[in-house]
Amino acid sequence: MSEPLTSKNWFGKASAGLILGFALALGISGILYRSIDVGDDIFSLPAQFTMWAMGPIWAGILSFCFLFRSGVRAWLWLGGATLAVWLALFAMGVSA
Amino acid sequence: MKIRTDIVKMYKEIHGWVGIVSGLALFIAFFAGAITMFEEPLQRWASPPSALAGPTPLDRTDELVEKVLAQHPEASRGYEIHLATGPEQPARLTWTVRGQGEHPALQTYYAALEQDGSLQVVEQGPSPVADFVDILHQQVGLPFEHEISMPIMGAIALLYAIAIVSGIFVLLPSLVKDLFALRVGKNAKRMWLDLHNVLGLLSLPFHLVMALTAVVFAFHDQFYDAKTLAFKPDSGRPAMEASAAPPARQDRLPVLELVERIDDQTPGFTLRSLTFMQSPEGEEVVRVSGTDPRYGLRAPTYGMAEADPFTGQLTELDYMPGMQDGWGATVTSFFALHFGNFGGPGIRWTYFLLGIAGAFLFYTGNLLWVESRRKRERRGGAVQQTRATKVLGALTVGVPLGCIAGIAVTVAAAKPLGLHASEAIHSAIYYAVFLAFTGFALMRGAPRAAMELLPVTAAAVLLIPLATLVTLGDHPAQIVWVDIMAISAAGAFWLAWRKVARRAREGGRDSIWSIKPSGQAANGSVERVV
Repeated sequence: MSEPLTSKNWFGKASAGLILGFALALGISGILYRSIDVGDDIFSLPAQFTMWAMGPIWAGILSFCFLFRSGVRAWLWLGGATLAVWLALFAMGVSA
Repeated sequence: MKIRTDIVKMYKEIHGWVGIVSGLALFIAFFAGAITMFEEPLQRWASPPSALAGPTPLDRTDELVEKVLAQHPEASRGYEIHLATGPEQPARLTWTVRGQGEHPALQTYYAALEQDGSLQVVEQGPSPVADFVDILHQQVGLPFEHEISMPIMGAIALLYAIAIVSGIFVLLPSLVKDLFALRVGKNAKRMWLDLHNVLGLLSLPFHLVMALTAVVFAFHDQFYDAKTLAFKPDSGRPAMEASAAPPARQDRLPVLELVERIDDQTPGFTLRSLTFMQSPEGEEVVRVSGTDPRYGLRAPTYGMAEADPFTGQLTELDYMPGMQDGWGATVTSFFALHFGNFGGPGIRWTYFLLGIAGAFLFYTGNLLWVESRRKRERRGGAVQQTRATKVLGALTVGVPLGCIAGIAVTVAAAKPLGLHASEAIHSAIYYAVFLAFTGFALMRGAPRAAMELLPVTAAAVLLIPLATLVTLGDHPAQIVWVDIMAISAAGAFWLAWRKVARRAREGGRDSIWSIKPSGQAANGSVERVV
């Protein structure tokens, strides 16, 4: 069995949740933004909805990131997820 | 429900730490927020009779507009016609301009027609005290500039989200056993813990809504900036499409005609005000504000649309209750769920009670933290409470009571201040009381401060009906239930004071509430706590 979880190594996990959680939330919000085709106006109603999506995603990642066994694992997993989301975004043509 | 014990233990520690860091700020946010549920009645209660000649009759509004624009051309950039007037909105017409200087303040002017038809303009408007309480709520009690307070508020909201999730992890394993048990007995900590659990769990949906919306309210600008930077680096706000044929400059419709045409298009919507202004493209538009009890509203107390002032045709429905599209209704629902503006007085009272219960939840959380820490310290051999425990105990008393008394005194001051009131004066009064209470609690320690500050808090709250009585002459009483609420709150603080006094005399001597010198371990009842 693995080591029991502890709150002692909170800093590594929480920093990953805070920083990568934000990057992930932004990326997922961007995928939403692209996939519902909100047009050019970043303040249109559907675009506002995609902005709102960032709050729960960020807060959720930050709340659950303590379930990673260590800060390193949190950074690796969340970093991998962030990379995947942003690659998908570039594939969808974020810079176009 | 089974959850691995190491997860529960980890989240229990996290819950404690995020709770203690954010709890007192959240208390202020929730207490002040509960009061903002009644922002409008409070403003009516607090607003002095205006120096104006009385609201101009609706059918003379166009004459009033004409005179204002002739004598104050700067008003043409945007002026507002109020269809509903009263102490809280004494003028038929107002306009607002930004002053000079580095942090220009907004100045609103209130206009009316005198008996002889001449124009009267005053700068003193309705009481700003309800706005002050709202800002206190938005900034979790911080006295800084908006740009500094909001990210701190956002950090508190994120901690609050973590506290909710971690609290669920902690409670889930013993949920069935603990939920409906409120063990009021000798074991005070058990009772506080049961109360904390039941309050937290039963108002969980409310707290999730508040935490998640508050995160977005706080980081709204940063979210948009990040999105703009990432997805639209070269975009400003794009220009709206120009309408086919811009109307030739002509006089807009008379106000009454405009109101009638808009009413025809908006059954069920109660028009409250019309704001005449120019769109960013220089077109004349009129913003229409009002309420519709069947729908949630985008702003705390109203929904809005835009109309063409020359035809009365509604042109922009994004924020119009019941007429917006699915995206608009969804985004509006996030605001409405935070503001509690979707179900009339019943929902406002429910939100008020949930807000007060929330404030109490954070207070009980702080109490539990202080008590467990004290017990851990004693197991570690300490006989005296450590400095940190003492300071936190004192803050747990001083901050909530200071917030309550500060709001009470500054609200009460609205009446004697009358037309001299300003947000700066209300702010100064609030922080003076708040800091005095907090400082006093730190000096005296939790038990003495609680005993001495509770009656002062009760007295502070009683200043509200007292202010009503003293100013009856020049300020006829409005919304008397504000005074009745204050009297019942004072009664509650008086009862709490009696309880605390008894506990300090008779409770365990190692409790943070005891005023007896701490000695050997006290009676066993406190020991049996989890």
